[in-house]
Amino acid sequence: MMAAAGAPEVISQLESAAKVLMAPPSMVSTEQRQHAEHIFLSFRKSKSPFAVCKHILETSKVDYVLFQAATAIMEAVVREWVLLEKNSIESLRTFLLTYVLQRPNLQKYVREQILLAVAVIVKRGSLDKSINCKSIFHEVSQLISSGNPTVQTLACSILTALLSEFSSSNKTSNIGLSMEFHGSCKRVFQEDDLRQIFVLTMEVLQEFSRRENLNAQMSSVFQRYLALANQVLSWNFLPPNLGRHYIAMFEATQNVMLKPPESWREALLDHRVMDLFFTVHRKIREDSDMAQDSLQCLAQLASMHGPIFPDESAQVTYLAHLVEGLLTMINGIEIEDSEAVGISNIISNLITTFPRSVLTAIPSELFSSFINCLTLLTCSFGRSAALEEVLDKDDMVYMEAYDKLLESWLTLVQEDEHFPRGCFVQPAVQVFNSYIQCHLAAPDGTRNLTANGVASHEEEEINELQEDDRELFSDQLASIGMLGRIAAEHCIPLLTSLLEDRVTRLHGQLQRHQQHLMAASDPDSVDRKVLDDLYEDIHWLILVSGYLLADDPQGETPLIPSEVMEYSIKHTTEVDINTTLQILGSPGEKATSIPGCNRTDSVIRLLSAVLRTSEVESRATRASLIELLSPQMGKDIVWFLRRWAKTYLLVDEKLYSQISMPLSTAFGVDTEGAQWIVGYLLEKVINNLSVWSSEPELANDTVELLVTLVEKRERANIVVQCENWWNLAKQFASRSPPLHLLSSPIQRTLMKALVLGGFANMDSDTKQQYWAEVLHPLQQRFLNLINQENFAQICQEEAVKQEIVATLEALCGIAEATQIDNVGSLFSFLMDFLSSCIGLMEVYQNAPETVNLIIEVFVEVAHKQICYLGETKSMKLYEVCLTLLQVYSKNNLGRKRLDVAAEEDQYQDLLLIMELLTNLLSKEFIDFSDTDEVFRGQEQSSGAGRSVSAADVVLFGVNIVLPLMSQDLLKFPSLCNQYYKLITFICEIFPEKIPQLPEELFKSLMFSLELGMTSMSSEISQLCLEALSPLAEQCAKTQEKDTPLFIATRHFLKLVFDMLVLQKHNTEMTVAAGEALYTLVCLHQAEYSELVETLLSSQRDAVIYQRLADAFNTLTATSTPPTMDRKQKVAFLKSLEEFVANVGGLLCVK
Amino acid sequence: MADPDLDFTSGDAGASVTYPQQCSALRKNGFVVLKGRPCKIVEMSTSKTGKHGHAKVHLVGIDMFTNKKYEDICPSTHNMDVPNIKRNDFQLVDINEGFLSLMMDNGDVREDLRVPEGDLGKEIESKHSAGEDIMVTVLSAMGEEAAVGIKAFTK
Repeated sequence: MMAAAGAPEVISQLESAAKVLMAPPSMVSTEQRQHAEHIFLSFRKSKSPFAVCKHILETSKVDYVLFQAATAIMEAVVREWVLLEKNSIESLRTFLLTYVLQRPNLQKYVREQILLAVAVIVKRGSLDKSINCKSIFHEVSQLISSGNPTVQTLACSILTALLSEFSSSNKTSNIGLSMEFHGSCKRVFQEDDLRQIFVLTMEVLQEFSRRENLNAQMSSVFQRYLALANQVLSWNFLPPNLGRHYIAMFEATQNVMLKPPESWREALLDHRVMDLFFTVHRKIREDSDMAQDSLQCLAQLASMHGPIFPDESAQVTYLAHLVEGLLTMINGIEIEDSEAVGISNIISNLITTFPRSVLTAIPSELFSSFINCLTLLTCSFGRSAALEEVLDKDDMVYMEAYDKLLESWLTLVQEDEHFPRGCFVQPAVQVFNSYIQCHLAAPDGTRNLTANGVASHEEEEINELQEDDRELFSDQLASIGMLGRIAAEHCIPLLTSLLEDRVTRLHGQLQRHQQHLMAASDPDSVDRKVLDDLYEDIHWLILVSGYLLADDPQGETPLIPSEVMEYSIKHTTEVDINTTLQILGSPGEKATSIPGCNRTDSVIRLLSAVLRTSEVESRATRASLIELLSPQMGKDIVWFLRRWAKTYLLVDEKLYSQISMPLSTAFGVDTEGAQWIVGYLLEKVINNLSVWSSEPELANDTVELLVTLVEKRERANIVVQCENWWNLAKQFASRSPPLHLLSSPIQRTLMKALVLGGFANMDSDTKQQYWAEVLHPLQQRFLNLINQENFAQICQEEAVKQEIVATLEALCGIAEATQIDNVGSLFSFLMDFLSSCIGLMEVYQNAPETVNLIIEVFVEVAHKQICYLGETKSMKLYEVCLTLLQVYSKNNLGRKRLDVAAEEDQYQDLLLIMELLTNLLSKEFIDFSDTDEVFRGQEQSSGAGRSVSAADVVLFGVNIVLPLMSQDLLKFPSLCNQYYKLITFICEIFPEKIPQLPEELFKSLMFSLELGMTSMSSEISQLCLEALSPLAEQCAKTQEKDTPLFIATRHFLKLVFDMLVLQKHNTEMTVAAGEALYTLVCLHQAEYSELVETLLSSQRDAVIYQRLADAFNTLTATSTPPTMDRKQKVAFLKSLEEFVANVGGLLCVK
Repeated sequence: MADPDLDFTSGDAGASVTYPQQCSALRKNGFVVLKGRPCKIVEMSTSKTGKHGHAKVHLVGIDMFTNKKYEDICPSTHNMDVPNIKRNDFQLVDINEGFLSLMMDNGDVREDLRVPEGDLGKEIESKHSAGEDIMVTVLSAMGEEAAVGIKAFTK
């Protein structure tokens, strides 16, 4: 034990080390610095450093050394807790507190560290009730009542430290205890002590709020207590009975809502509490830091819910008081920038938290004042947010506040049936108008205008990583779209007239440019400013229209929003259906030039406006004005049309209780309108694909529109009746320009769409003809090529290579088109190719980029189809994959490349192979083949002749991958993850195959596991630990000793044992390691006892020896003799947690 | 069976050492000519000037022979030259004064390729003097050739 006698030497050693650490970098060498760091590290690990630390604290003048002494005490107390006498802990705590009290001039970081040590002691003590926590509150309240600002600050620091420690959040120190321990400490604390802290805090705030003039020192104390109040109100109250895993999840939640237990009623459900925070805010609102805290306190109060309210009327009273206070606060002031987010948080919290029934139960005048205030605030924040964008500010506070408020509107109006009818219409009109205004150019709007009305127009570089506005602002747009539906009467006609106007102007502008170009023929002479303004206007109008008219739910059939449907129905009697159809069917004409144009269905009219935009664009491309067009607008148009088509095209009347006549007449099943529009959309797609191949995003949106048109059978049925569709198919199949200019991902998706279309309803002749034109040319060209005698000689010629690459790409696209009802025919078609692809592997063994693509085809087929395949078909796929891997392996054996791309190419091959193996394995988890009838009748019961299993392919694959997996390659994170996922899967699914592996393969697999466990990220380490249990269970099952696997598991026992007992690790890992340890112990009981004995015998300290021996006894006592039994395992895991908590720290000490 | 639609007349007359391709249709891991050199594309990204601007493609390539890095940025509608890349394995017959003697498929021996510098060259030499039969992979592009790899003799 380090005695106090040696203290002076220790101190001087530490002080000189501190000097080194504090010295400027130029003055000391790296070695000196490392040496100094090492001195502190080993000092903190020294055994029972309490006496020497006390001595240091009392004598040393070096702050950094004081800091380290406090840290050493904190760490040692936790580490040696079980060895320490209770009263010596108690006196240590008193010493630390007194120490701080007597030294008001301590450096802040030293003081905080000492208080942290106190808090840790209090918390650790609360577990065994050895420390009386109450006394500390008594001491603190005395400090507060002293009236001395310095002492009050100190009291606040103590409370803050306690709060951080008990919150069991990421602020809590890591003291090596389980989440369960942290959880139960927290529960005890929040019932009583936390409330006491809150009451103390409120007293201080009350006191300060009454004072007239606060000096700087006072106001800093005030600020600290305000922050403390915020911390209490933001406390994440842990509900009773929450399991360990949930605790971790629960603690990770952000934006905590205030949900105190019933015991807090008296302290919190008091109007004076809320009033106090309003008063406080009024007093300090010009100080932006403090204002943030006071507004956050109010926001937390606005989120209060749960058992604290005795009944609903208490909630109503509370809410009414809150809303009154809020309105008084907002109406009396001009909001500061720093208040915007806080105020919007209060509003958003109260709207999210309080049930609709409570919101509507407050006095109706108060409610409508609140809605008015919210409306004005939203519009004003929206305008300020637009200004922020113009000024390109880093800190977009108004944007954040605006987002919050729009989100609140969405919450409100989504359940508007609870509120008085129509009460949101006027507010919706106002918010909608202001949004549109902010997004349109002058003179209609204010886009890009600074506060004093100056236009700013900058062209910035936008890279592909930047999200499109429709995603970037999707939340805002969803809210605005929803408000637009609420006020459909106003908003739909508004959007229509604005869009029609812009389109007419765009048309005129383009015509002028064309004339100008014909005269001057210099495209650079065109001023794009006017055009760009129009494009930007149209961009936003289309986005808002898209979000207003339709939703885009993932995986569900989107419905026409009920508000839109009702709006259309309501005006049916005033509508002339023929004129409506005429407007719809003549996108090339100006809408207002059609007689009777004011008697049209407004919903259809808005779609027509977008079609008119589309038509202007298409005509401009035909007039060779592509240079002048905006690809962004092109994207917007096809994005809108896709969203629209999913919802409105072939509207299914069965899904609606009532349906609008104009909508069903125009777009219903078996209508001319639907046929016409499908034809129009198809024409648009074809035009876009041929003129916009150079714009990848636009081409992608376009081809996605095409997929939407054919992925549903009903739509596809109409599509395949169009001549254009057949032309497109033929054109693509013949690989003639311009479609072959499209980038490869687009070509794949196009292929996918063409295949999907082939499953539409056609008579059998037509169907045969279709496939003859789409798929068969692909096959024919391919076969002709590879069956040429001199194929091996010409294979590297560019034309041949391109043909091969195009075929492989197309195969990926075909695989992507797999659906449950077409997998039968697609599988057979693809299988023929897969065999030929293996031949290609031979021919192209020198062209890594082609090899890579070939493997990708296999990956795609396995990925999309394996889950649907029955036994015989799976077998076929396994076999062909196995052959692929064999050929790959043979070709790469003894091959060495040293060119630039060698490593990258190999990395990609391996990644794909592992993906392939993982896809094949996934059959073990996801298998739809038993329930479907895809192959019924074709499938013979062939289980007996089973030749290849997934395990064989996968293990063979691993055999290839393993020798190539150098440690360098494992540095690619995605490769490393995929690799370990794969080998863990294998151990879990086929543990019985592991002992049969060839020796070399077995060895490298075991080495990989060890490497992953010991020197990779914790995620990987966990994966490897998970692989161990099934392996040990496998050994137990066979009962053979001295097999290589048996010996290997013995080695792993030691590794896991050391890992758990001797090394620091996180708690998540304890679970995985614990499970592995348990099965390993069952298997090797004698070796385990030996390990324990060796460890014990190395302990020279009798006390530690005894503690350890006891701990080991309790650990295994509950499960003697250990067997592979779930109940015993669970018991073991539970005692392991305690074991780690009690002695884990002891053994980490050097 | 050369596709009649593909145009090979541009570039050098006769042998098609390069062919044109629209910039947007290039692919990562594919090839392109940058600053007159045959390169493997290691990075490819797009950008535009202003929200309503047209796409430009940013390419980073590595010279297949010298390992030098080249970059280029161009409108995505432009055509870029793509080099025709070939890799062939030849049996190593002998090494003479720093030159490889390689047996072609038709039985002729060519002796115009240098032993590559660095590790690969050393490995070729040591395997050769140890009497091992090896194949040498020769990369050719735009009229330039170099030995870039080896493979155990299997045929």
